[in-house]
Amino acid sequence: MIVGPPTATLLYLLLLAPAGSAVLALIPYPGVSKWASRTGALVALAVALVLLAGRADGTWGPYLGLDALSEVFLVMVTGIYATSAWYSEGYLAGVHRPFLTPQIYYALLGAFALAMVATLVVTDLGLMWIGIEATTVASALLVVLERKPTSVEAAWRYTLIASAGLTIALFALLLIYATTGTLDAVTLATDHPALTLPLEMAVALALVGYGTKAGLFPMHTWLPDAHSEAPSPVSAMFSGVLLPTALYAFARVYAILPRPAPAALTDLVLAFGLTTAVVGAFLLQRQRSFKRLLAYSSMEVMGIAVVGIAVGGVALYGALLLLVAHAFAKSASFYCAGNVLRATGTNRVDEVRDLQHRMPRTAGAWVLASFAVTGAPPFGTFLGELLIVAGAVAAGWYWVALVLLLAILVAFLGVNVQIGRMVFGAAPDGSPVAPGTREDRASIAYLNVAVSLAVGVATIPYLSTAIRAAASLLGGSVP
Amino acid sequence: MDTSAEVLALIGVGVLLTSLFLQSESFVDPLINGIALQSLLLGVLLGWLAWTEHSVDLALLAGLTVAVRAVVIPYVLRRQIRAFRWRIREVHAANRVTGHALAAVAAAIVAWFVFQQTLAPSFPETGAALPFVLLVQGLLMLATRSNTLVQVMGYLEEENAIVYAGALFASAFPLFVEVVIFLDVLGVVLVGVILSIQRDVTGTPEEVVLEELSG
Repeated sequence: MIVGPPTATLLYLLLLAPAGSAVLALIPYPGVSKWASRTGALVALAVALVLLAGRADGTWGPYLGLDALSEVFLVMVTGIYATSAWYSEGYLAGVHRPFLTPQIYYALLGAFALAMVATLVVTDLGLMWIGIEATTVASALLVVLERKPTSVEAAWRYTLIASAGLTIALFALLLIYATTGTLDAVTLATDHPALTLPLEMAVALALVGYGTKAGLFPMHTWLPDAHSEAPSPVSAMFSGVLLPTALYAFARVYAILPRPAPAALTDLVLAFGLTTAVVGAFLLQRQRSFKRLLAYSSMEVMGIAVVGIAVGGVALYGALLLLVAHAFAKSASFYCAGNVLRATGTNRVDEVRDLQHRMPRTAGAWVLASFAVTGAPPFGTFLGELLIVAGAVAAGWYWVALVLLLAILVAFLGVNVQIGRMVFGAAPDGSPVAPGTREDRASIAYLNVAVSLAVGVATIPYLSTAIRAAASLLGGSVP
Repeated sequence: MDTSAEVLALIGVGVLLTSLFLQSESFVDPLINGIALQSLLLGVLLGWLAWTEHSVDLALLAGLTVAVRAVVIPYVLRRQIRAFRWRIREVHAANRVTGHALAAVAAAIVAWFVFQQTLAPSFPETGAALPFVLLVQGLLMLATRSNTLVQVMGYLEEENAIVYAGALFASAFPLFVEVVIFLDVLGVVLVGVILSIQRDVTGTPEEVVLEELSG
């Protein structure tokens, strides 16, 4: 179906908003970059919400298009972009000798968001790949903002490992094109080309390629470094929306397979997902940096979501719920981590104590966000993980359900015990946080936690419907 | 075998040999020459295909390959060596070149075998397995080397593999030229920007243990 000119106009506006903000942010006049970024982000979020409400699914021209899946992801991406743009000002003010000027920082932030939005509104798998690769170019320099040797090393690892993975994904696309003669995601997902060995191999390679960007084990090694070294608003975008956007690209490739998908490929996807969830859950136990702790938690959640994709049925719906709720909760966690990092000057768990008295607003948000990211009821992550486990049980994969429950429990304890020690632990003498420390925009963290909660307990107008439609679109079922 | 197939096979073998050479060298300067030669050979192959198939896209790709990966990036890499004298040789790799070379040959054989078992029936073109072998070689280089300049060459080798594959069995791949331009931009960002930042910010060898990035 072809969308009408009003929807097409909104699509272009969706691309123009972050692009315009990135360009305007370069104007070297005090305050312009900040407001350009905020305005562009809010316009993009508003357009994404209008598109979600309108649900005018279809294509425009050879390359642009929308469906329920892209609409849900657009709300996630623009939502986190908006909150990160708003949160950035206070964070930047506390960075000593930043490598980037605010103009360049906000311009790159806009370009980063633009690359993700572009990935979501194109229907061509090749352009989708370009969008994902563009996120690497736009975000690599953001990692270096704080001018530390570790930041440079993290940026290097991120660029190199993500790019190496994405060349494998590109090889997969070459195989798909050579086999089917098209890269149009809509045509491929509708017609389901005949299953051949090259096509199966292409999907397996796409899993490895896009899985690298999504932080799947064993290609995850860039993830903890980049997340921990990037400025917190950028870490929020990495964990909250970049990883899911890479999974989105894989889901589009996976959707070209006939249903049910071949058992060998399902097993492969399942193996990657389960291993990632378990490894992430256990690795986060031994983290000394609270930002690395959050990064490994994101890895664990991506693993669980991939299991949901593999299991299908109701688990697929659960995976989408999980990704949406996690995006807002994890970004809130990173905003809180940013406040603490700024106030204490350290990212070490052992060096931060008694936040409940020293930074009460941040502490409250962080405790809630931690419960939310680890799947505590009644947050949306809980519902999502519950549905994935239920889907595995319904499919007769009891051992998958057991392993998932183990990973969820281990991650829950690992994250919440560490955050609990920082919030409620008694302060040692000489603790670097002074009472009454300024807490920049903790309200943004509360707002994002509230969204994560709403996904779990309420029917959010339009969004809940779109998530159900997106699950059906990918071949899942809705309870 | 017709003339075109012979030319493709001959250049393909040259590309494969350069990839094996890259795996067995620990001095960075010859490695840069090796990747430049590989890119030049690939450029010639693309030029040949462009001429025989009358394809403007392939001609553009040939030009890009030679200009960016045989000339510009090697030039920037050589400048990096002048700035970082300690990078002139990969110290750890120097003791392991025999192992690297053997691993590269083994990886090439395995990649060729996998291609024959899975993809060969669908891709009968002359030397169709070579891009796949080259991709594996690039990944091997990225995984086994610690010197950042050598890792850049692993990345360039992967890019060469993609261009090679696209030209051989998916030359009508839409937006392929744009994709390659994009990869080149990323390559330039890699070598031109991040390495420069590394010099400004750290000024120290990679061997320095980065305690904070452990775990």
